[in-house]
Amino acid sequence: MFELICNCLLFVFLGVTYFTHVLEAKVPKSYLKNPNVMSPDAWPKIVIILLLICIALNIWKIIRKNKGNPEFSFAAFGKNTVAFLKSRMFIGMVILVAASLILEPLGFVVTAALVMFSYGMLLGAKKWWLLAIVAVVLGIVLHVVFSGLLSVNLPRGTVPFLRSFSLFLENLF
Amino acid sequence: MSLGEMFVSGLSAVWGGGTMFLMVIVAIVLGTIFGALPGVSATMAVALGLTFTYTMGPVPAIVFLTAIYCSSITGGSITAILFKIPGVPSSAPTTFDGYPMAQRGEAGKALGVALLASAIGGLFSALVMFLLSTPLSKAALAFSNGDMFAITFLGLSILVVLDTKHMLTTIISGLLGLLLACIGQDPMAGVARLTFGQTSLLSGMEMIPVLIGLFAVTEVLKQTGAKKRLSADDGVGGTKGKVNTKMPSLKELLSIKWTLLRCSVVGTVVGILPGAGATIASFMCYTMENKLSKYPEKFGTGIIDGIAASEAANNAATGGAMVPLLCLGIPGGNAAAVMASALALKGVQMGPRLLNVQPEFLSATFITMIITNIVMVIVAIGIAKVFAQILAVPYYYLGPIILLLATIGSFSEGNFVGVTVMVIAGIFGIVVKYMHLNSAAIVLGLVLGGMCEKYFSQAFQKAHIVTSPMGFGDIMAKIGSTLFGTPIAAVVMIACILMLLSPLYMPLIKKARGKKA
Repeated sequence: MFELICNCLLFVFLGVTYFTHVLEAKVPKSYLKNPNVMSPDAWPKIVIILLLICIALNIWKIIRKNKGNPEFSFAAFGKNTVAFLKSRMFIGMVILVAASLILEPLGFVVTAALVMFSYGMLLGAKKWWLLAIVAVVLGIVLHVVFSGLLSVNLPRGTVPFLRSFSLFLENLF
Repeated sequence: MSLGEMFVSGLSAVWGGGTMFLMVIVAIVLGTIFGALPGVSATMAVALGLTFTYTMGPVPAIVFLTAIYCSSITGGSITAILFKIPGVPSSAPTTFDGYPMAQRGEAGKALGVALLASAIGGLFSALVMFLLSTPLSKAALAFSNGDMFAITFLGLSILVVLDTKHMLTTIISGLLGLLLACIGQDPMAGVARLTFGQTSLLSGMEMIPVLIGLFAVTEVLKQTGAKKRLSADDGVGGTKGKVNTKMPSLKELLSIKWTLLRCSVVGTVVGILPGAGATIASFMCYTMENKLSKYPEKFGTGIIDGIAASEAANNAATGGAMVPLLCLGIPGGNAAAVMASALALKGVQMGPRLLNVQPEFLSATFITMIITNIVMVIVAIGIAKVFAQILAVPYYYLGPIILLLATIGSFSEGNFVGVTVMVIAGIFGIVVKYMHLNSAAIVLGLVLGGMCEKYFSQAFQKAHIVTSPMGFGDIMAKIGSTLFGTPIAAVVMIACILMLLSPLYMPLIKKARGKKA
């Protein structure tokens, strides 16, 4: 059912996109004067039309394949959704989204340590204290290696003392 | 520049006063470990390797990534043989014979054959790449835009045919990739398209975060949700960190010489085809050798022929994949696509002109492949022998480390949007999995999409010139001469059409054959 819903949503989204967002600015008149050029919206529109045809076929195929399947119902989908929201994979996604949000204010060192610890626990690490030590050390080592030694840009954070700490690590070598 | 001069120029580029050579060794060690680690594919290894190249020049960057790419494919055979877990998907056929041999206490022999076959396959394809690239680049300079469009389109068409069971979803995936490539300003008029008001999308999709997200983050998320995670804990070589390293005899190696040659040739050819890659090459050659063998019943029970077939083919495909990238600017596979994106970041556009202007790219890549294929044999044996315990690193350490390297790789452009894009792409990869779409086709569509549109628009502009606004007939004539205007374009486009329509006529052919039988 998830596959069907995703296909339907994609179909609707592409349909709306076709009429509203393919071209978001006016095409320069000088460009339009040349009768031999392809309009900027032609290529994406061709791709969208082909996609709509293929997705419609896929929807038909999914419905035909699952005819009579008891799992192919909204009730089963609801159950599966609840199970997914409790799954480790979903928590992993939440950790990743949270990490992308805290990266700017807290900087790489703290974010790396938090991700390492939380994701490690999620994946079943037994010795939390060991994981915590590894997480902190790894955050610092990665920052020193990439930012300090390899001159790769890494976020220092906007919190003053975390920023100072990152700068201190970068200037170690 | 003659071939001899190119060889010398490549040597000096890779030697680079010793530092560059040292960097190649580091890349080989990294690549072999990445490849050996379960759950880290060759593409992911190259994507993670990108993180180290941001401060490098274009030539060192391609040298570093090529070394990682070649060695990761070889590294995958270590876990395939010792733990029955292919480190990279292309080593899956290696498990069929490698693991039974390891169980019999012949892990050393199996590893020896795998590494030697990898080296021979890799060296063969490197040589083919070196000899073929210059003439092909010269020929490509004469290609019209229509020819280039047809060749680019061929890559997408092949991908559809290779996944015969899921053709429709593969077509959808390729088209989705093409659509994602349309985001941003169009290549001809500079008009914004599909940005949904986001100014950060005006310059188009950030390719590297998308690739890292789809290949690295998605894989970690998949493993997070898996009931039994990839683990090398319970393999025959991993429990005590000891591996029997008794190597194969010369007689045994000579007995597989034709297998090595055949699979090196087939692997290179498959690698050259845009869209097909090391995994297809290794499965294809394993099946081919099984059919050609005098003792097909022994395949899968632990014989060196099976390992040689798989490993020679997958390494040969790596060199093959570099040919279209260097000559035409069309990546032969996902890992080559990551390399192309990395070099594009540095302002280098791969293609026929590149070899005219900067031939050191080809020579440096060739020499790197030669060095890598030789040095990795020693490195891989060392890794298998001494670090078998390292390969058993628990996933609760490995998974988060991959995520952190992925974050560094996505942020290296100094842009928080990159990290957000990586996370979205990672989650999108999971949706793709549940929708049974093909992420390789999405990536290929995304990477080739820009080229496809550019070549098509330029060819369209030059074909069937009109002086007044076009009518329906003019449009059709223009499209016709864009797609079939030159002999090369016509032949390639007809091949593409036949491939794309094959799901319609193949069942009819099979049915007719069945009736005859």
